[in-house]
This record gives sequence, structure tokens and C-alpha cells, in this order.
Amino acid sequence: MTEVSTAFNPFSPRAKTARLFLSFFPADARQRIKMTTKILPRASKDRSFVQVKFNDGKEMKLDAEKLGIKGIIEEVDRHSRSLNRANELNGN
Amino acid sequence: MPPRIQRPPSTVASILRCKRTPLRSRQYATAAATATPAAGHHQIPNIPDPIARYPPTQPPSFKPPQFRKSQLLRQYASLLRSTPLMLLFQHNNLTATEWVGVRRELTKALQKVDATLVAEGHVSQNIASGVKIQIIQTGIFGAALRVVEYFRPEAQQSGFTHSLSAAAYEAAANQRTAHGLSPLLSGPLVVLSIPTVSPQHLKAALSILAPNQPNFPAPTRKANPGYHDLSCQAGLAKLMLLGARVEGRVFDVEGTRWVGGIPGGLDGLRGQLVNMLQSIGAGVTNTLESASKNLYFTVESRRTMLEDEEKGEAPKA
Repeated sequence: MTEVSTAFNPFSPRAKTARLFLSFFPADARQRIKMTTKILPRASKDRSFVQVKFNDGKEMKLDAEKLGIKGIIEEVDRHSRSLNRANELNGN
Repeated sequence: MPPRIQRPPSTVASILRCKRTPLRSRQYATAAATATPAAGHHQIPNIPDPIARYPPTQPPSFKPPQFRKSQLLRQYASLLRSTPLMLLFQHNNLTATEWVGVRRELTKALQKVDATLVAEGHVSQNIASGVKIQIIQTGIFGAALRVVEYFRPEAQQSGFTHSLSAAAYEAAANQRTAHGLSPLLSGPLVVLSIPTVSPQHLKAALSILAPNQPNFPAPTRKANPGYHDLSCQAGLAKLMLLGARVEGRVFDVEGTRWVGGIPGGLDGLRGQLVNMLQSIGAGVTNTLESASKNLYFTVESRRTMLEDEEKGEAPKA
């Protein structure tokens, strides 16, 4: 992963997904990954989203309200696993 | 043959014992002896007040008081009652050194505000020493918030009315999602509590923890090199301001910045109010005067008109 950007309204109960996703990154993740977070005002009705950019240039924009934290982790892991496998096959 | 009912282990037994309902009030034998022995059941005078079974410092608790969560609930409830201004942040895996850096910069900025207030001639309140940034357990904090908001001890007719009492639990149990702050209370949270509503201190704290141009600028590298320390900056990048609770009301990020941006603090706000009331007073007197003024002008103009007519008629006659 090279870039993560999220936006959420913390006063919506469904923003939990995006917030938990951010809290899962390890302490030193920000040295490698560029993270941008946008906190929406209380009255906004915009849906929260998680946008991820990978090393190979693939971009994912996931709807955090529909997927839930398990769904988002699954989607992100699926691609990063395949990237890892390609890396290993190349002998890195 | 072993007994069929096993005795519960001692830890469980102690918990069960704690929730046991108190026995009916006992009466001393001497009290019974003073009454006439032949007196019937209905003739016995009023039963005296039950003997206090608990020391006043240890009223019975609804949840087992020896659990950490019970004591945390007490602590959070007293924090919520005593703190008019608190900010909620999400912290994403800060390391210990990063916490040290964040706390150091925060106290430094707040002490500076205290010093400038004293220099301006205000009474020294030493607010900086009372400001605390602490990680909270969200579920228990939510429960404490519900107890503080929805439990009214003065409305209780009888029984115990402390935060851990059964009455407080009953009052808070059905309000699970009612409070405006409840959606915020999930994930890793940290609370910054400021003991008084002081917009100057809030502004200093915001410009350290959640800087925002142009009203809440972060200190420059020249003015405060410690703030641009690598560990401090890494920690601040992982703190997210979510909302605030000011005087029992919930504010989002924009609202928090508005509170912090009140010019001149509470004194400035009072000055604005006085100005506004004075201008209202002037307006009211103007309005009240205008009716009589109008009447005066009308009568006066009518008088001059009549006089002119008289003057005009006089030479003809």
C-alpha cells in the first residue's frame, strides 16, 4: 500500500468502519504510507469511504458503510496477497 | 457418592453474596420487652427506621464493586460531572515516546497561555495543571455518560442515589443510543479534559493537537523547535479530533473550533453581550420616544399652520 485516504462523519454510527480501518495500521505505518483523513461536519450525509492505492498502481475505492470492517479488510487483503505472491515468485 | 450440587468456587460466591438483597430490619429484644407483652400484632407502634447496614462511604453497588469496570465508571462519572469542556480524539497506535512528546508540547502551550493571562492582569487560575489527556474505555465511558445525563438523583424517592446504585443503572439502561455523543464512543479514544470553559486554553490545545489554518496555526519551527520533533509530529499525525462536549452539549469539529475561536475568551464574550444589550436599550428608548415626538411635531406643525392662517386672515379683515 502506498496511499490511504478516508472521509467520514464521526457522528454517524456507520463511520465506525472507517475509523477502525485507520486504527488497524501499525505504529510506524505512516512512514511508508501516505494517509489523508477528512472528517466531515456533523450534519453531512455523505457516505464514508476508504480509498487505497497499491504499489502496482491499482486503486480501490470502497464504500465503508456497505462493506463493514470485515469486508474492507477482505477486499484489501485479497489484492495485497496477490502482490505478495508475485513478489515471492520474482525472488524478492 | 459425591454431592449432586457443586459448591460454586469462592470468587463466584463472593460476587453472589454482594448482590444479595438486604434482610428485613431487625428489632432488638429490649425494644420488644418494653412493649406490653399482651399487645396484639396490630398494636405494635410504627416499626423504627431500619438500622443502617452500610457505612456511608460504602453504599451497596449494583455491579460488583471490586471489579475494575465499576471503579472506572465511578471515575468517569465524576470526570464528566466536574469537567465542562472535554475533547474527544481517536488515537491510532501511538507509541509511548510519541505520547510523551504530545503531552510535553500540550502542557508547554497551556502554561504559556496561563502566563499570558496572568501578565494581562487576570487572577492566576493555573488551569494548565488541571488539563489531562487520558485514554478511556469507550463502553464504560458511554455508560458513565448515560448515568450522568439521564439519572436524576434528586428525583429519587428513596434508596441509594450514587452513580453505581441500582437506580442509576435502571435510569441509564434504556438510553443506549440516545445521547449525541454515543456514536463517537467506539474504537480507540482519548479524552482531553479542561477544568473550565476557557476559549484561550482551548485554542492553544487545538493549535497543538489539531492545527488548522488560519485560525489555529501550529507553532513555527523557530518559536517552538520541540513541536517539530520527529516523535511529536508522528504522534500528532495519528491523533484525530472527533468532537467535543462543552457544558453538556455536543459539538463537532467545526463547533469546537468556533468555541476555541471566541475572541478574548469568556471576558470578550461578556463584553460583546454588554455592547449588544446597550445598543438594544438605545433602540428601545428611541422607539418609545418616537411616538411622543411624532405627536409633538404634528401638534406643533398644526399650531404653526393655524398661526399662519390667522396671520394671513388678519390683514384681510
